[in-house]
Amino acid sequence: MTGNVNDNALPAVMLDRSDERLKHEAGIGGAVRGFIDRVRSGDLGSLPVVVGLVLIWTVFASLNPIFLSSNNLVNLLFDCSTVGVIALGIVCVLMVGEIDLSVGSISGFASAIVGTLWVNQGWPVALAILAAVAVGGLIGSLYALLYNRLGMPSFVATLSGLLAVLGMQLYILGSTGSINLPYGSAMVNFGQMLVMPRLLAHVLAVVPGVVMLATGIRTISRRREANLSAPSLGSIVLRAVATTLVLEIIVLYLNQDRGIPWMFGLFVGLVMLMNYALTRTQWGRSMTAVGGNREAARRAGINVRRIYASAFVLCSMLAALGGVLSASRLASASQQAGTGDVNLNAIAAAVIGGTSLFGGRGNAYSALLGIIVIQSIANGLTLLDLSSSLRYMITGGVLAIAVIVDSLARRSRVSHGRA
Amino acid sequence: MTETVDRKTPAGEMVLSLRGISKSFGAVSALTDIDLDVHAGEVVALVGDNGAGKSTLVKTLAGVHQPTAGTITFRGQPVTMTDPSAALNLGIATVFQDLALCENLDVVANIFLGRELKPMQLDETAMEVRSWTLLNELSARIPSVRIPIASLSGGQRQTVAIARSLLLEPKLILLDEPTAALGVAQTAEVLNLIERVRDRGLGVIMISHNMEDVRAVADRIVVLRLGRNNGVFYPDATNQELVGAITGAVDNSVTRREERRHAEQQLSEGGQL
Ligand SMILES: Nc1ncnc2c1ncn2[C@@H]1O[C@H](COP(=O)(O)OP(=O)(O)OP(=O)(O)O)[C@@H](O)[C@H]1O
Ligand SMILES: [Mg+2]
Repeated sequence: MTGNVNDNALPAVMLDRSDERLKHEAGIGGAVRGFIDRVRSGDLGSLPVVVGLVLIWTVFASLNPIFLSSNNLVNLLFDCSTVGVIALGIVCVLMVGEIDLSVGSISGFASAIVGTLWVNQGWPVALAILAAVAVGGLIGSLYALLYNRLGMPSFVATLSGLLAVLGMQLYILGSTGSINLPYGSAMVNFGQMLVMPRLLAHVLAVVPGVVMLATGIRTISRRREANLSAPSLGSIVLRAVATTLVLEIIVLYLNQDRGIPWMFGLFVGLVMLMNYALTRTQWGRSMTAVGGNREAARRAGINVRRIYASAFVLCSMLAALGGVLSASRLASASQQAGTGDVNLNAIAAAVIGGTSLFGGRGNAYSALLGIIVIQSIANGLTLLDLSSSLRYMITGGVLAIAVIVDSLARRSRVSHGRA
Repeated sequence: MTETVDRKTPAGEMVLSLRGISKSFGAVSALTDIDLDVHAGEVVALVGDNGAGKSTLVKTLAGVHQPTAGTITFRGQPVTMTDPSAALNLGIATVFQDLALCENLDVVANIFLGRELKPMQLDETAMEVRSWTLLNELSARIPSVRIPIASLSGGQRQTVAIARSLLLEPKLILLDEPTAALGVAQTAEVLNLIERVRDRGLGVIMISHNMEDVRAVADRIVVLRLGRNNGVFYPDATNQELVGAITGAVDNSVTRREERRHAEQQLSEGGQL
């Protein structure tokens, strides 16, 4: 190497701290300042949706105290889970900069499949569910084929899918129009009343904090070993404790009523799994890369077509699963299932939660946060006895705000060099 | 840069050999009947005017474009590269003129893109350490490897792209104007690095518009003009010869200036007599 000044400088300087232009923020204060810096430059993360949620809850709670009752919140969680799972699939396609407009139809079709196979044909329920999800995957691979091989824009492919799949749903429900799922069956119980045992909920609420702490400590020791700067133990402990505290309080509050729905547990589990896959695996890295710069990803040797295919297939399968869950929630598979606002709510949830419509930015938690916002609005307005006309208008407004925040943040990131 | 004699006769085995490579985009023939050889331990400079087809040739070798005609022989085997990953797997690493980085990913993620350590549980620490090693070899001036590419300067991005090409221990490196945006120290470091990888026995193809850089490191200079081979030169060729081959014109301002200087020199020498 050239004998420049750096070689005479402190020998113990850390690998990633050798550039004197870099501000070194250490400890908890540093973490907080870093966060403020990020937000200022347009790297908003989940901040807008959290602020929005607090705002919405404050308004509804002041208009009707029942809104914040644990009974109502447990209902809210049941309602969130169905469309939330669909929104999680939307996060996948948005990550690669594509869209699936047919998730509503797919969910309706899946519920019709379960109803037909299980109730009418007498299949075991598990097999019927599997079949429905597999059909979802098949539809997704058809979209992938149209996109990859024929260059059909996903917008158009899934728009025709919306109609075609709705047609299939009506076709297989044809003679009966709607199928009632038997009350008291495991599937309907799962969608309507099964909740976690209180103690188990409390134990599960500790898990994220423990995992945070364990991985945090491991990261610190590995980075120190490699002569890299590491976050302070204090900030990690603080985050873990804060997370645990918040989760325990939520569980405690909801346990005053029925408790945490298993269906919501399933949804959150899927969100966490997706978060891991998107942030900590090669597949997730490739998804982000393809969404950011498709050609660069291709030149880096990534099989871009396979990544698109995985996004479409995953989205359709999650949409089908969401449809199964809503069938169990409603105890029926009807011609109305998956129509109306399901489609738009799922897409809106992902965007409101902070996944960018422009591709390459987003996270699994945006499905969770976004659907809670949307269901809170629906739930709050229902409590106020306001018609669905107002609900559509308000949800539309919130979606518009979310897209505006996304666009503005994107502009700010560009000017702050954080694209 | 001592043994200039040695450099005229590349001793290494043939790494890459192109015969009759053509590439057309619709009605435009970007490359016509190109022949090119690269030996192990040899730096071949590819020069030519804007639009001469240099980048197209590099992209053809990187698997980005498929040639319309001709054969590519890599380490004795005829190969067809259907996509960039095929070229990467063969051991051909490329720094593209447009860099081809993902702006939304950070430096480490870009360097390791498609080749992440531990695919099911990314080893961020090991990847970060390796990134710093590569970047320090290039005397990179990058404040942090945990910031997205979007916040780096043009030269810093170029350094990242070069670092990425070195990650896999390739057999052949293609550098499309690697020093175009670099500062003095970084250019020197890249030229040093080119010599180092040559000494390790790799083949290097370098595109540059800077004749000084080209002369400094190249063993052979291949000129392209309007998509065709237009002569092979050695670093001791005069500027006049090179410019003539690149532009295709014997008479232009560079040659005129050269001639004027030559004439003045003779005149002053004559005056002294
Ligand atoms: N994808 C493409 N589609 C159509 N024409 C192309 C394409 N890529 C290159 N060309 C054409 O091929 C010719 C050669 O372009 P190329 O980029 O190889 O030039 P170059 O020698 O690298 O020039 P520069 O020095 O400006 O980088 C140009 O005329 C260009 O217009
Ligand atoms: Mg070029």
